[in-house]
Amino acid sequence: MVALALTQVTLLQLPLGFPIPLVLIAVVCRMLIGMSSAFPDSGVSIALRWALYGGLTLDLLATTPLGSHAFALLLTALLIALATRRLSAERIFIPLLATLCGALIYEITLALLTMPQPIDWPAYAQVVLLPMMLIALIPTLPIFFLLRWALRRQI
Amino acid sequence: MILGLGVARAEDHQLTPMRDYLDDRPIKLHRERTGSEATTVRPLILALVLCGLAGLLIFLDLQGMLGPTRGIVQQGLAPVAQQLTAVRDGFTAALSTPLSADALETRIAELERENTQLHDELLRREQAAVENVFLRQQLNITRSQPWLLLGAEVTLRHPDAGRRTFTIARGANDGVDVGMAVIGQLPGSPAALVGIVERVGPRTADILMITDIGSQISARVLRNNESALGMVHGQWQLGSRLQLEQVERTAGVTVGNTVVTAGLTAALNLPLDLQAVPPNVPIGTIESVQASGQQLIAELRPFVDPDQVRYVWVILNQDD
Repeated sequence: MVALALTQVTLLQLPLGFPIPLVLIAVVCRMLIGMSSAFPDSGVSIALRWALYGGLTLDLLATTPLGSHAFALLLTALLIALATRRLSAERIFIPLLATLCGALIYEITLALLTMPQPIDWPAYAQVVLLPMMLIALIPTLPIFFLLRWALRRQI
Repeated sequence: MILGLGVARAEDHQLTPMRDYLDDRPIKLHRERTGSEATTVRPLILALVLCGLAGLLIFLDLQGMLGPTRGIVQQGLAPVAQQLTAVRDGFTAALSTPLSADALETRIAELERENTQLHDELLRREQAAVENVFLRQQLNITRSQPWLLLGAEVTLRHPDAGRRTFTIARGANDGVDVGMAVIGQLPGSPAALVGIVERVGPRTADILMITDIGSQISARVLRNNESALGMVHGQWQLGSRLQLEQVERTAGVTVGNTVVTAGLTAALNLPLDLQAVPPNVPIGTIESVQASGQQLIAELRPFVDPDQVRYVWVILNQDD
């Protein structure tokens, strides 16, 4: 997760100022794969640990208070787990939907934790939330299938 | 006894193909899942504990108790991040090579000159050549402006679009302090303000871009040997870049006027974060103006886009 966070902060910066939230996508995909595995408890625990480690690394690489990214990722992972516990990740739209909702929860939580208040939510949604959610969708399926292939012996 | 051993060996021979078959084919156990057995309460407890841990870390960091530990870990990560950023910048530069004929000719001429200089030098000298370019830019700036500058590479960008900050490879050990102005320069633009030092570590510093919504700087609009005061706010999160506010309606501000820092906090020597921003640091030009009550509100185009800079200078002090 440290390498993934480093990659997100350094290599994946886009000119328009929208980085690809690689750590978020990895956590969401790991959570979905964990939920649909033979031992969901273990899978969910691993995804939560990914969220903590990835979040703390992002905090160390960013200017945010230590723990804010970790908190946002953990909350996202928890809500995704609760929302998808009766769904099968085999359906192709589930990872996409989970990433979309996950990005929304993640960005709102981060905004509440790190942005100066009060926040102009309509403008923030238009300029930050929507583009970030759409950008997060792009690598979701490749990452999901890559992770599922890499973890095929555990599921 | 011998007969018994022979029978056992014969049985072994019969079992061997079956064992080989089983060894070669992994047994897959299919487990039918139902909703009730999806997860137990254990992961939920773990999630709540980890969220609590993260919350505790946020609290401790805001109290400043994690500063030294955080600084040590950041110093460890900084060299790796710097290398990766250099790889990314190299790739971006390759993609953004100018395509028009004139620009290409200019670029080729520059590259030929550079190639001539670097032909017989070792690989490590290339880094020195790049630094040389930045130092020459710095020299030009210090010749025209009364600032004492410290050059710094941009090592990290913030991982989220919601906050416009970046990290530079200079810190308290180099004399950088909170509130200092950070300037940048792009080809064809003057050296201009790109941000303010928000947090300082021993060898790194976090810069809040002027385009961030949390950025507020006192500014002065220059026009016809007169000037008007106002405040420049970052607007990136609201879909714009910079906005000039609190300008008197009678000030007669028009499109194209230049906006520079007012340096009021420095002049008054107030104990504020922005006390180290000197006056007359270029910010941008006015793109549009509209009246709002007794005040004018203007959209600004920054001279230097903070998202584009790779090398910046911290204004350590003003050499009056």
